[in-house]
Amino acid sequence: MTQRRGRGLVAAILAASAIAVPVMAAIPAHAATELSFWSWRPEDKVFYEAQAADFLAATGISVKFTPYVATEYNATLATALTAGKGPDVMQIRAYGGMANLSDAGNFLPLTSKMVPALGKMAAGTLAGAQGYTDKHQFGLPYATSVLGVMYNPALLKKAGIKALPTTWDSFLGVLSRVKSAGIMPLGNGTGYAPGLEQLWGAVGPTFYGGTAFYKDVVAGNRSFSDKNFVASLQAVKDLVAYMPAGAEGLDYNTARGLFANEKAAFYIGGNYEISYFRSLNPSLSVGWIPAPSASAGSPRFVTNWADGAFAINAKTTHKTEALKFLNFLASKDFNQAAADQLGWIPTVSGIKVTDPAVISMQRAIPTLGTPFLTLVGFRYGTPTSSAIMQPGFQKVAAGTKTPAELAKDIQAGVASWYKPQTGKA
Amino acid sequence: MSRSGLQREQRKFTFLLLAPGLLTVVIFTSVPALTTLSYAFFHWKGFQRGTFAGFENFHRLFSFPFRDQFLMALRHNVLVFVGIFTLQTTIGILIAYSLYRMIKGQRFFRTVTFLPVIFSLVIVGYMWQALLDPFYGPINNILHSIGLDSFARTWLGSTSTALPTLVFINLWRWVGFPAIIFLSGFNAINQEYLEAARIDGASEGQIFRKVMFPLLAPSMTIVAILTFIGAFEWFDLPYVLGGSSGGPAGATDTLALMFYRLSFGSVDSGANEIGIGSALGVLIFSIVGVGAAFGSKYLRSREVDV
Amino acid sequence: MIKALSSKIFFRSILIFNAVMVLVPVLFLINSSLRETNDFARNPIKLATSPHWANFSNVWADGAFATYLKNSLIITVGSTALILTLALGAGFVLGRYTFKSQNLIMGFILSGMLVPAKLAILPLFIQLKWMHLLDSHIGLILVYTSGALPAAIFIMSGFFRSLPADLDSAARIDGASEFQLLRLVLTPLVRPGLSIVAIYSAIPIWNDFFLPLVFLQTPEKKTIMQGLTVFFGEYSSQWGIIFAGLTLAALPLIVLYLILSEQFIKGLTAGAVKG
Repeated sequence: MTQRRGRGLVAAILAASAIAVPVMAAIPAHAATELSFWSWRPEDKVFYEAQAADFLAATGISVKFTPYVATEYNATLATALTAGKGPDVMQIRAYGGMANLSDAGNFLPLTSKMVPALGKMAAGTLAGAQGYTDKHQFGLPYATSVLGVMYNPALLKKAGIKALPTTWDSFLGVLSRVKSAGIMPLGNGTGYAPGLEQLWGAVGPTFYGGTAFYKDVVAGNRSFSDKNFVASLQAVKDLVAYMPAGAEGLDYNTARGLFANEKAAFYIGGNYEISYFRSLNPSLSVGWIPAPSASAGSPRFVTNWADGAFAINAKTTHKTEALKFLNFLASKDFNQAAADQLGWIPTVSGIKVTDPAVISMQRAIPTLGTPFLTLVGFRYGTPTSSAIMQPGFQKVAAGTKTPAELAKDIQAGVASWYKPQTGKA
Repeated sequence: MSRSGLQREQRKFTFLLLAPGLLTVVIFTSVPALTTLSYAFFHWKGFQRGTFAGFENFHRLFSFPFRDQFLMALRHNVLVFVGIFTLQTTIGILIAYSLYRMIKGQRFFRTVTFLPVIFSLVIVGYMWQALLDPFYGPINNILHSIGLDSFARTWLGSTSTALPTLVFINLWRWVGFPAIIFLSGFNAINQEYLEAARIDGASEGQIFRKVMFPLLAPSMTIVAILTFIGAFEWFDLPYVLGGSSGGPAGATDTLALMFYRLSFGSVDSGANEIGIGSALGVLIFSIVGVGAAFGSKYLRSREVDV
Repeated sequence: MIKALSSKIFFRSILIFNAVMVLVPVLFLINSSLRETNDFARNPIKLATSPHWANFSNVWADGAFATYLKNSLIITVGSTALILTLALGAGFVLGRYTFKSQNLIMGFILSGMLVPAKLAILPLFIQLKWMHLLDSHIGLILVYTSGALPAAIFIMSGFFRSLPADLDSAARIDGASEFQLLRLVLTPLVRPGLSIVAIYSAIPIWNDFFLPLVFLQTPEKKTIMQGLTVFFGEYSSQWGIIFAGLTLAALPLIVLYLILSEQFIKGLTAGAVKG
């Protein structure tokens, strides 16, 4: 009995290999050029595939778009590039997010000769995709991201809110009133750790004093233990009371879904959420205000930064085609479509932003703009400030860590590799 | 064929049949396993090896912020081992004994008991993620519909329930394995012992406690060692359900996840720390190696006593 | 008598409860794979009375899924075939011959069973890159072979040793060469061992997640377990598709298990059960 079955099994394996071997041999070599293109935005797949179809029609080069789960994208891409593989063209994180990969020579250095659009960009924008040690341009920064407070006008009206909040206290007051009106005040949760850093990035600057503090920390004149910085962390803690029940387990898409499906009155985040909102609920009306000021009279800030870039693999075997595609990604047509459909504020000039909420964000940048402190300044060494801040906020929200303790941790982590802060507490 | 001719042919054969296998093991297991030790003592920049570092990588592993992560992950691994071992041994023995007593229909229940063992933890993880979804999952829906609303929760999303939930899922997938091992342990018991006890008038409970349970010791040793190794190399399930950072808020972080992050890049920066990662790898290997060696020595000595 | 009956009921109900615990989630999975996403979202617990087969065609239409399955098949079959071949030869030599370095080699094989491949992943990554075997099915097959081979050789040599010694001399007197002895006389007798080794190696390789995660980079080369994580990122709340994908990934093994359950149990517990 056993023996007969054993024989059957061996025969099955042999049969299977008889099938598998020809299959393996039959994998076709690509006749026409196909570029591989990786991203951390599964929610934008439909958009990119439509754009790829346009590109194919115009050039005869096909592009295969592969999105990964956002939180695993960095490790996936880093492993692939280190293996000497990886896609031809890829979406990369801004500033220190992938500087180590750039320093290791993984990305094709770009010049404005290769990508003319680069020549027209501001220095501050270009810095988002430059190496940390060498100053090569390793990517084409594609959009400016803006953080702030988004609201649902209809739900606020239903809760009887007439004036939009301008100070922190009035904001908390509005949230309480919305809550007592039986409406979920805030869609944000604490389950998605990067979302908490962005939440802080939106509401925090007014507490620590925006750009002036940013410059002081970068220069080493002040540290993260500063009481104003602690106050900015406390602001996030203040909001936890207004988050949905079970906020601890709320993943990114569920949280955004609460706002998109008109369950929550406010959502604090970036303009890049809007395309996701619209994919769930095309008729959603989104209002936007800059984060309220810490107290009456203190300045308000709008965090904005060159968010992400497109880069070419230094080892690509299709350099010409990849450059052609990168120039397509820098083209007016592509960026106008991205502004219309994804809510981008493109870095390329001459694009008209059409989404009303995004228009108000764009208008706020020149007067209220401030850099994203942790993202722009402190992702160039391990541990990054983000690596400590993200899980730290989850502990602060759960009540197992105080904002002051978190600030101390961030300072200790950054001081371990950032020279101007070495030895400071 | 002459005697020496046979010897010559055998020698040739020995070489021909052993060499390919041994060479594969040397190249793809022995060499990397030995070099991993050396990696821990060098500075690294990405995948570029730098200068000799002495014990600096170990020192950094035990300083802020890695120390906190390490201690938390280690604590989780210990909890997981204790939790899984206790539960699966109790439940496993119960199932094994129930199967042992069953004469007709044993085959069906044995097949069902072992079924989850063949599943990949990726499939098991995603299946339970769906079952436990806070909004659409049937578990919370059932709890709500029978009025037990207060028991419904975000099982995988809350820091207090995430790790116990993962232990439960792992248990669901694995308990059939110890059950079958224990069953064959029961089957291996000499019937004469049981007969003798029965003639002495011992009850079923007494026979189980006094005769059968002690004779299960060899199976217990194997299950304990395998669970120990599995618990300290726990990666797939926490990765699938909590991501490489062991979410939520590191509540499901393990040593193997931390090793992966250090080796291949963390979520936010993609920067890796091969030196510290290798130091951690050496440490995990020591824990597993020393623990398994001492554990099996101790457990074997208990086997001799009974 | 009553006591004996009630204990019988007690132990039987444990088995029934266990069977329910095992089967209900699996049946839920299969049932939900046949339901439309919105229908599922409205009421997760309902029988799929009119099967929504489109879920499966949608999964298949994605294209990547079939590729993942094919890759897993290539890697699993390739590794298992290689392991069986190498373990058969080495097991024969170690189980039937006596030679000088035998104990040394046996010791090496036993020590090889203790090395956890996961922790040697960094040097292996660099080594495979150097050998141009990263992002390659062949590279992965060699790593799996090396990982499973020590235990496979150990099991096979045990099977060869348990065969009566006269077989060899009788065959040699009949003029059989050593190769003929192995091929025609002994191999048929160690088939139960081969089937144990096949299951023991193939199932963990099919199910493995960690090594493909690190060693395979091109989306078209990924295995099904690795592919599932990509798949989940893409279809995060499209329940119908997700359940269909999971069912499709789980079903081949379930079917195989139902046919060969005894082999599976023996193979997967090999080494853990004495005798």
